[in-house]
Amino acid sequence: MDAVIVFLPLAAALIAGLFGRQIGDRGAQVVTCGAMLLAAALSVAVFADVALGGNTRTTELFTWIDSGTFEAAWSLRVDQLTAVMLLTVNVVSAMIHVYSVGYMSHDKSIPRFMAYLSLFTFFMLTLVTADNFMQLFFGWEGVGVCSYLLIGFWYDRPAANAAAIKAFIVNRVGDFGFALGIMGVFLAAGSVDFDTVFAAAPGLAETSVPFLGLTLPTLELLCLLLFIGAMGKSAQLGLHTWLPDAMEGPTPVSALIHAATMVTAGVFMVARLSPMFEYAPTALGVVAVVGALTAFFAGTVALCQNDIKRVIAYSTCSQLGYMFFAAGVSAYGAAIFHLFTHAFFKALLFLASGSVIHALAGEQDMRKMGGLWRKIWLTYALMWIGSLALAGIGLPGVFGFAGFYSKDIVLEAAYAAGTATGDFAFWVGIGAAVMTGFYSWRLIFMTFHGKSRADKHTMEHVHESPPVMMAPLIVLALGALVAGFIGYPYFVGDEMSAFWGASIFVLEGHASIEAAHHAPHWVAFLALGVGLFGIAVAALFYLATPSLPGRLAGALRGPYLFLLNKWYVDELYDFLFVRTARRLGYNLWKTGDGVIIDGIGPDGIAAHTIELARRAGRLQSGYVYHYAFAMLIGVVALVSWYLIGRL
Amino acid sequence: MSGAVGLEHYLAVAAILFAVGIFGIFLNRKNVIIILMSIELMLLAVNINLVAFSAHLGDLVGQVFAMFVLTVAAAEAAVGLAILVVYFRNRGTIEVEDINLMKG
Amino acid sequence: MNYTLALPELFLAASGMAMLIYGAFRRGNPTREVGWGVIAVLVVALFITGSQTPGNGALFGGMFIVDGFAVFLKILILAASALAVLMSQSYIEREQMARYEFPLLLLFATLGMLMMVSANDLISLYIGLELQSLALYVVAAFRRDSARSTEAGLKYFVLGALSSGMLLYGSSLIYGFAGTTQFAGIAASLTAESASIGLLVGMVFLVAGLAFKISAVPFHMWTPDVYEGAPTPVTAFLAAAPKLAAIGLFARVLVGPFGDLVAEWRQIVLVISIASMVLGAYAAINQTNIKRLMAYSSIGSVGYALVGLAAGTEEGLRGMLVYMMIYIVINIGTFACILCMRVKGRMVEGIEDLAGLSRTQPLLAAALAVFMFSLAGIPPLAGFFGKLYVFLAAINAQLYVLAVIGVLASVVAAFYYVRIVKVMYFDEPGDAFDRPIGWEMAAIVGVTALAALLFFVLPEPFIGEAAAAAAALFAG
Repeated sequence: MDAVIVFLPLAAALIAGLFGRQIGDRGAQVVTCGAMLLAAALSVAVFADVALGGNTRTTELFTWIDSGTFEAAWSLRVDQLTAVMLLTVNVVSAMIHVYSVGYMSHDKSIPRFMAYLSLFTFFMLTLVTADNFMQLFFGWEGVGVCSYLLIGFWYDRPAANAAAIKAFIVNRVGDFGFALGIMGVFLAAGSVDFDTVFAAAPGLAETSVPFLGLTLPTLELLCLLLFIGAMGKSAQLGLHTWLPDAMEGPTPVSALIHAATMVTAGVFMVARLSPMFEYAPTALGVVAVVGALTAFFAGTVALCQNDIKRVIAYSTCSQLGYMFFAAGVSAYGAAIFHLFTHAFFKALLFLASGSVIHALAGEQDMRKMGGLWRKIWLTYALMWIGSLALAGIGLPGVFGFAGFYSKDIVLEAAYAAGTATGDFAFWVGIGAAVMTGFYSWRLIFMTFHGKSRADKHTMEHVHESPPVMMAPLIVLALGALVAGFIGYPYFVGDEMSAFWGASIFVLEGHASIEAAHHAPHWVAFLALGVGLFGIAVAALFYLATPSLPGRLAGALRGPYLFLLNKWYVDELYDFLFVRTARRLGYNLWKTGDGVIIDGIGPDGIAAHTIELARRAGRLQSGYVYHYAFAMLIGVVALVSWYLIGRL
Repeated sequence: MSGAVGLEHYLAVAAILFAVGIFGIFLNRKNVIIILMSIELMLLAVNINLVAFSAHLGDLVGQVFAMFVLTVAAAEAAVGLAILVVYFRNRGTIEVEDINLMKG
Repeated sequence: MNYTLALPELFLAASGMAMLIYGAFRRGNPTREVGWGVIAVLVVALFITGSQTPGNGALFGGMFIVDGFAVFLKILILAASALAVLMSQSYIEREQMARYEFPLLLLFATLGMLMMVSANDLISLYIGLELQSLALYVVAAFRRDSARSTEAGLKYFVLGALSSGMLLYGSSLIYGFAGTTQFAGIAASLTAESASIGLLVGMVFLVAGLAFKISAVPFHMWTPDVYEGAPTPVTAFLAAAPKLAAIGLFARVLVGPFGDLVAEWRQIVLVISIASMVLGAYAAINQTNIKRLMAYSSIGSVGYALVGLAAGTEEGLRGMLVYMMIYIVINIGTFACILCMRVKGRMVEGIEDLAGLSRTQPLLAAALAVFMFSLAGIPPLAGFFGKLYVFLAAINAQLYVLAVIGVLASVVAAFYYVRIVKVMYFDEPGDAFDRPIGWEMAAIVGVTALAALLFFVLPEPFIGEAAAAAAALFAG
């Protein structure tokens, strides 16, 4: 069954991709959606069997690489962690497949799109079912490729191509660290199998390696390298720049890849490698700090963005920060819990925004929206649900939206970890929570309330999306509503240790989630309170006195521009790396390749060839006496050769 | 024996004749007939060689060879002249410099 | 004396003369009948040769030898000649050169070639060579009303006579210093240590004369002009059978009488082989006339064949024979294609005339593409194997530099071969070629193209024959 879940999307992708012309748009949609719905149903069964029944297993399919001492099998490791991921990935992916049928209905290459989506799902599944680092890396790179293909799906748009390339290149930076980490793991542990490496991890924590004259603890180094990979894929501070640009892809792609699944691969990886990270306290600290900073940074940027998808993209970035700092304080369960709930409400938000964009015929700028709530009330309601879940609103002890539970436990765990990094993460996370409330409702108010700023023609054509798009939204909304409530006891509550089993390893002294249950009440209320405060401010700014934001932006021009331009990170990178690299590349191209290599190599040889050919032709003068002379020269040369040889 | 004519002298004469023949082919830029004559000269040089060797070795094969060379040379001259005649009919000239339609 | 060994030659000579008389006394134009007669005679001679048991047998006082090597080459020569005569049939009628002497001259040239490969004495070598050459001089100038054809004949004759002179001069020196004209006697008279300088000089002159016949650099200068100027069927003939005979004779002379001097002659062969490969590759690049291009191509090809000879081993000789066998098949096919290049009743020879051939005559274009790729040595076509075996032999003989230069030269040469394919497949079509091309042409093109294409399926018997022929030469 595990193999079926993993390979169904691949089969669907191959069918839709290779035979798209034969089976047509409809056929491709039916095949891929059917396969994904089936895979989703099977994942529910697997989840019940593995996560609830505790029936973990590893199925070896075949030996993949066997070279010298290097061995990697292709096996499906299905434990509780994987089961959660299977469920998340397949359910969200299935919903988005269905949604795409409606959203992409006017596109001219539907089979290609569906094939890419399914192919992405396959790679994501191989990533989460990996039993060794090689397989993990395979899935890791595979989702990267699909992400590239999907961001650049509209390949006739320059911006989409640029974004696709940017995503790919920024991810290369992370993947470089990741690959180095994997090589280091093989070097240190002599294997890439998770079980072997995990068993060796405590031992590795004791050893150290010399590097550039420094003596570095082995395991810390490995974990940091691997975390660099996670930073790239999960868009953490420093390597986050690609994610907002990735919004150039079609909205379902943003929802599936750049919100719900692929970007969480880094979080999954840290959780999967918890037996290593647990023995690397410094690396864990780095994870927590980077996560917290990302949560805060992305929140600030989201405050001022005007593109509806970019706001949600930065919000994703911010939420990924939460997940990381949860993992950084050893609250892996909380991290995965937040990942799980986030997948639902963030996919919901994206798809709902997609519905808005669809209604406005492609308009993404919130400054040109407003007053839509009567016309597309269902989308409006779903957006509220998603935002409430994102901001973590709920009634303590009674019921809350999905984010209420997961974000709470993340913050509580950070507080309860009792470490300096934990405290730092907690306060920064609280700050980010204020902003979450603010930007979420800023989005709602700007989009749905107030006077319409769209032109008349567009407004007249505003319409609710077709049922094929709304149905997945409702399923996801259901998830956003109840995922936290239902999941809480299993993921982080009383059933936690039974639920996770051996899939997540936490050292004795790192039990931050248990500690979180005993955190003071004000922590939980604070988290809720700041969220409400953010909403209130948003209401003040965008409902009560719509002129206020403009005046504030005018008064605080510097900070406003700083935030609007995303802290100038792109510009900084452009200055530091892109231009330097361009200049270097230009010089290498012009002098290195053009003058030296081409000059001596291909071009030089070609020019020489032509010149020689010309001379050879001139040799053939047509005069008999020249020909005879050549023959004589030949004979004389040969005879002299022998005569001289004899003398 | 210093005054006697030996093998070396024959060989030297033949070599000189042969060289004259070759030089006649590529130094002459005027007339194809001269080329034909040069060819004859070369073949005759060879015949001198053959006969001289034959005499020197006391072996008749060389003279037989010389007879063959003479015969073939006659045939060759005939063919050569025939080709020259058709060439002249086409071009109206037998200047060596003009035999230059094809080159490169 | 067992005259049956010389039966093919005797048969060719007798029937050739008989047809000559028949043609002279027959009223009307007997060209077509004589042509078919010549083809029939060649085919019969082919079968006689094929049925000869290749045991070593010498005739006429040891002047004439029949061994496996000779039989192998004779079969190829007879087949190539028969095909060339077949190809020329309709051409000579169209181009007002339908005189019965034409096929007969080709027949006598073939007879000369058979004698060349069977030559075992300097005298028979010379007679065979001259018989072949004199006939070829005449056919090269056979279009009496064409300035180019007669110029080709004249150039060929003058330079050929010069080369004959050199060859003869060398022969006379060899005779003088070895004391005999018999190959076996020459071989016996010299050992590697005691080769007199006179003998060496004689060998150089002899090699120079033979190198002219195989058009190896620097004795190649006649080739482009003669190939371009001669009537196309004559060029096709020149490029195939005489090459085989000359290179066979070249190999026999070097391996037989001068076998002990392998270290000496290898240097010559190395130099002319490299020079031929390089010049053949470069000089062809700027050509616009396809016959001239094929001339340079044949110069290059001889260079490759000589790579095998330079190895000086049985394996090298086998490589050379395999190469030549494949080479003549491809060449006959290519020239058959060139003979089909006719626009509105006029022959055209420009490479640009082939533009868009893939659209007007897809089958012909495909066949020519197969030949060009094969000449370029692209696997799995036959030409690749030809080059493979010679380079393999060179490497096994530790002639690495030679092999590397050869491979590089074939890279350069691939440029102009592939350019022809490019012209045929990617350029805008010009005037379409006249159709039909005739069943003879279609059959020749089809069979040779299939042979080039499918050689890799069953190479064993052919390579085995070549190996046996090479072994026979080394044994003798």
